[in-house]
Amino acid sequence: MATEPALEQTLQGPAAWEQEAEREHVHGVGPWRLGLRRLRRNKVAIAFGVLFVLLVLACLAAPLWADNVAKTTATENHLSDTITVDGEKVNVVALDGVPIGPQWFKADGKFFLGADPNGRDIMVRLLYGGRNSLMIGIAAALLTTVLSILFGVIAGYFRGWSDSIIRAGLDVVWSFPVVILGVALGVALALGGIKIGPIEVSGDSLLVPILIIGVVYVPYMARPIRGQVLSLREKEFVEASRAQGAGPIRIMFTEVVPNLTSTLLVFFTLLIANAILLEAALSFLGAGVRPPNASWGTMIDDGIDRIATAPHLTIVPGVMLVLTVLSLNVFGDGVRDALDPRAKVRLER
Amino acid sequence: MGKHGRRALVLLLAALSLFVIAACGDDDDSGDSGGGGDGGGKSGGSITISQTSQPDHLDPALTYTVNGIEPLWLVYTPLITYPHKPAPEGSELIPGLAEALPDVSEDGKTYKLKLREGLKYSDGSPVKASDFEHAIKRVLNLESGGSAFYLGIDGAQDYVDAGKCEGDIKGIVTDDKTGDITINLTEPDGSFSHVLGMWFAAPVPGDTPCKEMTEDPPPGVGAYMVTESVPNRQFVLEKNPNFPDLGADIPPAKIDKITTKIVKSAQRQTQDVISGELDYMQDPPPADLKPEVKAEYSDRYREQTAASTYYFFMNTRLPPFDDPKVREAVNLGVDKPALARIFAGELAPGCSFLPPGLPGYDEALDVKDCPAGDPNEPPDLEKASQMIKDAGVDGMEVTVYGNNDDPTDKVTEAYADMLNQMGFKATPKILDGGVYFQTIGSAKTKAQTGFLNWFQDFPHPKNFFFLVDGKSIQPTNSQNPGNVDDPDITKGIAELNLEPEITDEVAEQWAELNKDLVERNYIVPYGHRKLSTFFSERMDFENCSLFHPVYFNDYSSWCLK
Repeated sequence: MATEPALEQTLQGPAAWEQEAEREHVHGVGPWRLGLRRLRRNKVAIAFGVLFVLLVLACLAAPLWADNVAKTTATENHLSDTITVDGEKVNVVALDGVPIGPQWFKADGKFFLGADPNGRDIMVRLLYGGRNSLMIGIAAALLTTVLSILFGVIAGYFRGWSDSIIRAGLDVVWSFPVVILGVALGVALALGGIKIGPIEVSGDSLLVPILIIGVVYVPYMARPIRGQVLSLREKEFVEASRAQGAGPIRIMFTEVVPNLTSTLLVFFTLLIANAILLEAALSFLGAGVRPPNASWGTMIDDGIDRIATAPHLTIVPGVMLVLTVLSLNVFGDGVRDALDPRAKVRLER
Repeated sequence: MGKHGRRALVLLLAALSLFVIAACGDDDDSGDSGGGGDGGGKSGGSITISQTSQPDHLDPALTYTVNGIEPLWLVYTPLITYPHKPAPEGSELIPGLAEALPDVSEDGKTYKLKLREGLKYSDGSPVKASDFEHAIKRVLNLESGGSAFYLGIDGAQDYVDAGKCEGDIKGIVTDDKTGDITINLTEPDGSFSHVLGMWFAAPVPGDTPCKEMTEDPPPGVGAYMVTESVPNRQFVLEKNPNFPDLGADIPPAKIDKITTKIVKSAQRQTQDVISGELDYMQDPPPADLKPEVKAEYSDRYREQTAASTYYFFMNTRLPPFDDPKVREAVNLGVDKPALARIFAGELAPGCSFLPPGLPGYDEALDVKDCPAGDPNEPPDLEKASQMIKDAGVDGMEVTVYGNNDDPTDKVTEAYADMLNQMGFKATPKILDGGVYFQTIGSAKTKAQTGFLNWFQDFPHPKNFFFLVDGKSIQPTNSQNPGNVDDPDITKGIAELNLEPEITDEVAEQWAELNKDLVERNYIVPYGHRKLSTFFSERMDFENCSLFHPVYFNDYSSWCLK
């Protein structure tokens, strides 16, 4: 499983874009517009980008499906209930514990993908689980990005002891395999939650996996950013700003960070994919999303015991996971190619 | 993996293949039939069986799970034990390594036993009377889960406080020359004979160190001996060549060698038993394969109700369960047949706390006359919801505790959903199985309600009632997390426990106590677990598959066809 973002990025910024535009004789076109043009030419990336948007929209529509079609919630058990299929009453969960299989539209959309051992509608849980997986992935990637900018820019700009301390801290986190660190934190925090001063997060909260995943990926992003900042702080435009009397904070936010934008954008898309995968892995191992909440990882875990007779319990959330991660990765690659001035893509004039 | 790694793997696989071939070859070598045991049958041969997880310990002083107890009761025979017979005879105490059942003094505080002469451990060393005291010392010194059973021995607490393995327990007096063993209790305990019959009290050599011995289990006196133990991989039981003649009720083993492999996947275990690669799986087949197993292999598959009770505790000291009306409503609203489906039919719905097979069990109370309604029928949810509304606690937040063992997690989620249907705002809190009981047993956790179950340690009602005894409430590691503290029940337990023997009259009194507990709705019992036996084709299922009422599947009764 790919759990680490691609690290060998070409870390260039608007200055480099201008250089590139000059080389390709595309004068008068802004760097973002230039990137967008390149992205639009990459049909595969666009197609997967659209697929990702569709998946997000489907998951956002979970309450619509639950209320109007399935007429249940993601956590409601139907152990003793029966439904009418082709005019016959059928147990949602048989007396021997075997849940009903996919009904498609035979029961007016109820139990479209069947039920789990607790008699919960799998389609509803799949959509709500997708919301949780996506939310955790996006929120964790945001957290990683913010922390990485903070640590990477401070370490790279100030160098010296602050760099040493931050690098040592990142190395400590880096030294643990991501999944093992995630599982250790997940199990420890599930019991007592997080208490930092007045901030209190319950062990069952979705914030716990967000924080865990957000933190464990910081070194993977902060270290390249630090390297990029080390290079940028020596550039003429930074020196000019310094000569004009700008302070370090001002230089960092007005000169350095804007030049990291393309790097951050590319990293961010790839991080979402990796965060979703890690969430699934942690949930599969029982250290991520807590019951009764669902995620694709918990659904795969729930279905694995019945893979012989009800493979859809595992395959359906697995396919959703694959499609989401694949679409983000392909789209992320497309964004990287579009924003990378060294990409060998012929521009339209 | 590098070149050397691959070579090593190939060599390892080749060695394993040879081992398996050799093991299979043993079957042909051994052919003598006859043998003792329950149903007769062929002796000899080797088999391979499986457990889903490693036993907690392979040490008689420490093990306290079915995974450990099921094999180890055949390795370590206590002074008194149970006959290798099905229920109800299998629940009656008989002399084990002692010559006779204990001679109990009139005040019920002194137990006298005499060790049989000429006994030898599996390594050939002689068994001494003082080895019994050493076994109890190990239990106490290692702070075993079973130590509480022996704290009633005079001087046991002082021994624990001193913290020295070689110390003395004042209340145990032994004479190695005569084999006499005298045990003095601080107060009479009617269940103490059964406590002496537990595996914890089985003698081990006096030089066995006071440390966990899972990787090198000490020798014992039993039909089998442990000859190999590789934690999380496998352990091997082999027929004990020095096993003495202890009578027909404690027969020698028939199978020569039993290799127990730890196989995580129940799916794989089931497939392997079907194909004959495994000969027995300790856990039941997974739910999705069970219909196939039941339909196609019914000639070697069986389910038996074990002496166990599954129930939810309700913390009587915390809202909303401090209100008896709320507890009654929850008992009315829990859907017991629905919970039985989660167990894939391996749960007999019932509402008696005392399970079938125990003195005091009342089948009518369990099913027909259950105060909460027939446990095989849907609950009266409407009435339960109304009672909760009347109590003014509808909408109250409730945290439902459970652990991540299958199917406990699913049961906990279903129970939380049932509470929601009654009108609460319940959320399941699933903890790791390794920390679950400590967590809910800590007063600091303030656990409102949650999952509990109990399998009998010995067939005496006290072994269940201590779970609802006010005296069991502790600030940490409490066995009574619901804080059930009814003066009548606590007094009843104390009085009935003084009875040295469970006569019909005493059993009737235990039954009354059980009825009081159920009617007062302190807990929500919902059923009794069924355990399965699933053999491979080559095992003699018909004649050699004793299910023991205390220790479940009796390996010493098994034989090949």
